[in-house]
Amino acid sequence: MTELCITATPTFNSSPQRLADFATLAEALDYAAEGCTGFNFHDNRGRLLAPLAYVEVRRRALDAARRLKSLGLERGARVAVIADTDPAFMEIFFGCQYAGLVPVPMPIPMSIGGHERYVARLDRLVESCEARVAIAPTHMVRYIEEMPSVDTLAFHGDIEAFRTLPVEEGMTLAPSGPDEIAYLQYTSGSTGFPRGVEIRQHAIMANLRAILASGLAVRPQDRCVSWLPFYHDMGLVGFVLGPMASQLSVDYLGPREFAMRPRLWLSLMTRNRGSIAFAPPFGYDLCTRRLHGSDIDRLDLSAWRVAGVGAEPVLPDVLERFADHFAAAGFDRRAFLPSYGMAENSLAVSFAPLGTGMSLDHVNRDALEQHGEARALDDPEAAEVNATSFVNCGHPLPGHDIIIRDSEGQPLPERHVGRVTIRGPSLMSGYFRDPEQTRKSLGDDGWFDTGDLGYLTSQGLHVTGRHKDLIIVNGRNIWPQDIEALASRLAGINRGELTALAPPEEAPEVDVVVLVQTTLSDEQERAALVKEMAAGIRSEFGIRCTVSLLPPRTLPRTSSGKISRSQARRQYAAQLREAMGAAPTPSAAASS
Amino acid sequence: MTRHEQILERLMQHLERFKSESGELHADADLINELGLDSVNVMDMLLEIEDEFDISVPINMITDVRTPRQLADVIVKIESGE
Repeated sequence: MTELCITATPTFNSSPQRLADFATLAEALDYAAEGCTGFNFHDNRGRLLAPLAYVEVRRRALDAARRLKSLGLERGARVAVIADTDPAFMEIFFGCQYAGLVPVPMPIPMSIGGHERYVARLDRLVESCEARVAIAPTHMVRYIEEMPSVDTLAFHGDIEAFRTLPVEEGMTLAPSGPDEIAYLQYTSGSTGFPRGVEIRQHAIMANLRAILASGLAVRPQDRCVSWLPFYHDMGLVGFVLGPMASQLSVDYLGPREFAMRPRLWLSLMTRNRGSIAFAPPFGYDLCTRRLHGSDIDRLDLSAWRVAGVGAEPVLPDVLERFADHFAAAGFDRRAFLPSYGMAENSLAVSFAPLGTGMSLDHVNRDALEQHGEARALDDPEAAEVNATSFVNCGHPLPGHDIIIRDSEGQPLPERHVGRVTIRGPSLMSGYFRDPEQTRKSLGDDGWFDTGDLGYLTSQGLHVTGRHKDLIIVNGRNIWPQDIEALASRLAGINRGELTALAPPEEAPEVDVVVLVQTTLSDEQERAALVKEMAAGIRSEFGIRCTVSLLPPRTLPRTSSGKISRSQARRQYAAQLREAMGAAPTPSAAASS
Repeated sequence: MTRHEQILERLMQHLERFKSESGELHADADLINELGLDSVNVMDMLLEIEDEFDISVPINMITDVRTPRQLADVIVKIESGE
C-alpha cells in the first residue's frame, strides 16, 4: 500500500454550520469554502486518492468558469460532463454555476462490450439538451470524440485539454441566479426517451433546505459516505449538493468500485465514522450477500445514524436481513430511513420519521384489490387474513404537499389508493424543451403527477407501486409484488429471479403472466414447477395465470439492476408472436 | 505457454459455470449473448480478475471486450503497463 502524506478533510468544520439558507448553489459554495471540510475520493481498494476541500473546489470552479466563458457561450448554454466519481466533475459542475451555464451530468459506461451503445446514448443526450460543450475524464474522452454530434460543439475534450484553455485575469463572472436553471437531470422514463428535468436554483435550494433541516436534521458532527453515481438524483443532490450546502465532509467511492467490492463502502463508514449514507435496497442486499465473518468483525457501524433507503420500492425483508447481518458490527436498525422522491422534485418529497426505523402498515389485501381501500389490520390479525404490507415513507417535507387522487383527479380520503400527486417549491420547471410531456405531468395548477400509486394514513405516505405495472382483473387492482412474493414462496425461488405482469394482448386468455428464470433442465421438474406455481397463484388470487420459464439471466433489467416489467412484457409478447407464427395455437404458445 | 495463454486458461476456468446447454465455452464466445453473463456476473468476474492478477481494470478498457480472448488481451496490456 502506498503511504501518501494526505489526509481526508475533517468532519468538524471551522465555521458555523448553515443549512442551505442560500439563494443559489454558487452562494452555498462561497460559504462552504470558508471552512475546512470537503469531498474525498477513494480508489478501488478504498485508499484516499484526493481530498478536495470546498475552498479548492471553489478555486478550481472559478478558473473553470473563466475558461468556459472564454468559449463565448450564450448564457444558460448546456455543458455536458461525463459524471464519473472524480474531482474533474466538481470543477465543471460548479464552474457552470459561476459562469451562468447549465451543467448536464452524463452517465458513465458500465457494461462489458457496450461501447457502441454507450456512444449512441451519449449522442442522444447531447442532442436532446443541445449541449455546446462536452467534457470527459481523460480515459473516457474517446467516447465523446466518437459521437456523431461532436461537430456541433464549441468545445469537447478531456479535463486536461479543458485546463489548457486560457483563464483571463480580471474577467467578471455573473453566477447563475435564483430563477435560472441550476442543472439538467436526465431520467430514462418508461418510454426509453431521455427526459431532461429542469431544476432551477430556487427549487434545488428549497429541496436542500427541507432535506437537511427537516428530513435528515443534519448536525455539525455528521459525515457522509456515498458510492451513488453523480448522474442520478440521489448521488448528485443527496451526496454532492447536500453535503456542500451544509458544509459536511463526504467520502466517495465509485459505483463500479462498490458493485465489485461492497465491503469498501462499509469500511469507509467504519474508518471515518460515517453517520449518513443512502442506498437503494439492492445496495444493502449486496452487502448482506457478500460480507461474512471476518469482514464483519472489522466493521464498526455504530456511528451510522441515517441509513437512507430510496430510488426504488423499499423491500422490508432485504432491510431486515441487512440489520440482522450487521447487528454485530453495531448497526442500529432504527437508523433505516425510508424515503420517497424523484428527480422531478429535485430529489426528496418525504422521509419517514428519524430514528425509528422502518415501519410497516399491514392492510387487508381483498379490500385493497376490490375497493382500493387500505384497511388496517393489527399484527395478530395480519397473520390470519389475506394481508399485505407497505412501508411508511412519512409526511411531505415542510412546504410540500401530497394529494392522492382518483382517475378523475378528485382528491381521495386517507387509506384510499390513488395516484400520488405532489406540489411544492422543489418541483422542476419542466422537461427541457419538451412542452408536451411537461403539460402531461405538470398541470397548470402546479401539481405534478408522479405516476406512482399510494395511500395516505395519519403516519404518512405509503407507495403501493407504479401505475403502469398494476394488473387489473375485472376492475380489481392486483399488485405485481404480491404475486411475486407468493410465487417466490411457493417455489423457493429468489425474488430477483421472477416477475409478474399484466398479459400482453397476445395472451388474452390469462389474467397474469409470471416469468421465472431457472436453471432446471429436467422436463418433469420444469413441468411440475409451472403447474405448482400456476395452481398456487390461482387458488390464492382466484385469477388465471400462466407461468413461463426462462433461461438464467434473461429477465431484462434497468441500469440499477431492477427487473424492468415493461421491457419483460414486450419481450414476452414478441416471444408469443414468434411462437404463434410457428404453431398457430395460442394455448400451446402460452404454455411453457 | 505465453502469458496470454496462461491468462486465457484462468479466464476459461472462471467462466466454466456459464457454460450453456447449447453453446460450448470457447475463447471466442460472446460473453453476453452466448454465455449469458449479466451485469452482476461481469462485476464478479472482473473482481476475481483484479484480485487474482492484482491489477485494476479501467472501465474504458472493457467496453470493447466481447469475448474471453479479448479480455485476456486487455489483461496482458494492463500487466505490461501499456
